[in-house]
Amino acid sequence: MVTKKITIFPGKDKKGDKENFDRLEILAGQKIGIVGPTGSGKSQLLYDIERLAQGNTRTKRQILINDKKPSAEFRHNPTKKIIGYLTQHMNFLTDTTVKDFLEVHLDARGKGHKKHLIKEIIESANKITGEPIVSEANLLVLSGGQSRALMVADLAYVSESPIILIDEIENAGIRKEKALELLSKKGKIVFLVTHDPRLALNTDKRLVMRSGAITQIIYTSIKERGIAHYLSWIEEYILEVREDIRLGKRVEELKLICTPM
Amino acid sequence: MRLIVFGGTPGSGKTSVIKYVIEELKRDFSMHYVKFDVLSTDDDALIKERFHISTEKKLAGDLCPDHYGALEFPKLIEKHKNKDLFIVETAGLCLRCSPYVNKGLGIMVINITAGKPSSYGPLLTEADIVAINKGDLISQAEREIYRIKLLGVNPNANLVETNGLTGEGSLDLVESIKNMPPTEGKLTLKKSMPSAICGYCYGNRIIDPQAVYNRYEKGKKLKNLLPNKNCGACGYKSCNEFIRAVLDGLVEKEKCIYLNIKRQ
Repeated sequence: MVTKKITIFPGKDKKGDKENFDRLEILAGQKIGIVGPTGSGKSQLLYDIERLAQGNTRTKRQILINDKKPSAEFRHNPTKKIIGYLTQHMNFLTDTTVKDFLEVHLDARGKGHKKHLIKEIIESANKITGEPIVSEANLLVLSGGQSRALMVADLAYVSESPIILIDEIENAGIRKEKALELLSKKGKIVFLVTHDPRLALNTDKRLVMRSGAITQIIYTSIKERGIAHYLSWIEEYILEVREDIRLGKRVEELKLICTPM
Repeated sequence: MRLIVFGGTPGSGKTSVIKYVIEELKRDFSMHYVKFDVLSTDDDALIKERFHISTEKKLAGDLCPDHYGALEFPKLIEKHKNKDLFIVETAGLCLRCSPYVNKGLGIMVINITAGKPSSYGPLLTEADIVAINKGDLISQAEREIYRIKLLGVNPNANLVETNGLTGEGSLDLVESIKNMPPTEGKLTLKKSMPSAICGYCYGNRIIDPQAVYNRYEKGKKLKNLLPNKNCGACGYKSCNEFIRAVLDGLVEKEKCIYLNIKRQ
């Protein structure tokens, strides 16, 4: 089945009041930001989407896929799952090697015949983390950044879901642009919980959350995209200076001009 | 009356999940909650205070809590048979027993961060529903793998992902409780208890003090006849296991070579 559209019907906020919108439609290829203070219900919204909620979660939201109520199989059968979820978690708990873990997950997702992908998955994880992962390493000894990079690569290659949920990718200590690029391939629907202004402004629209409810839907303007570009430049500049300092250089010349978009 | 048995190891989040379930159900149903524990618990008092339902605790002390549970079930059920729901919470302590009975609903709350599903035994294999708790602590990939492993151990379980802190998933449990049939008739344990010394220890599923005693008497007689050498010549691991098989009618007692020698 091709996922063309996801529709969110309103639920209730923390006080039990109905959310103030009729329906929210997101089309394939769109990237949606989810912003708001801590505890405003951002992760809960991702959770509702992951569960393809049908009024059976605390918020009572309902999620439709292609205008239809998704079958229970989409939720429970990992081989049919259409949602990939990068959680905030930085560590694995299973005592096994990276290679075996990926093998078992390929099996779980019904892709046991694609074992040759394992090398590629680890290579692409290593493009996102500064510290390379080896396939024989134990999952438990991976650093936070390595674990997160492996989770990203696993999501991109093993889960291959048309809908991707990403929870605060900026906290992972990994190359977030590369990670996002890997995850948000063409035609996917991406939901991105973030506090990073550059990531938030680089979306098609953003949902503003407050006390459990979606309170505003803001379409990203051209000016905002320009500002995102500028912030990007500043960030790269910071990284450049950081690298110079690490290499023992003096930093006395200030760059002021950013390339126009 | 509907009987719902919640099992799960200490710290798996049983009580937290149960609280959300009770909160959802208390408006529409009358209920009684019993907590089986070994040494001490305040959960009965806390739940009573918060939800204003009738509760009690049963402390097993030196008895195996699951043996104790089986002995107490008939009395408790008789006493509260007018309630809509009878909720039992118990920790499966040695993981060799199953606290669930053939009727009603057996719900295991399992802590996804604590060990492999294959190490849980009847507490898991006999559950109707497995509430996978604390899934918010690990990645989606690990959750998916865990699911597959759980189904490998108990292919018939209905899996529900719960969160004892936020209450997520409790509505699915509530739905199952609302849809279950009333619990009527004679109860038996879903799985026999391990071999040891009392009536249950000769392996049975009877929840009836007199029948348990009768079986104990028969078992004791056999026990006196047998050499108790656990030699394994009969094909069973221990003499107790052999006694159990004889009592179950699976094997003749003459299969024991020592009994034959004595007779000659």
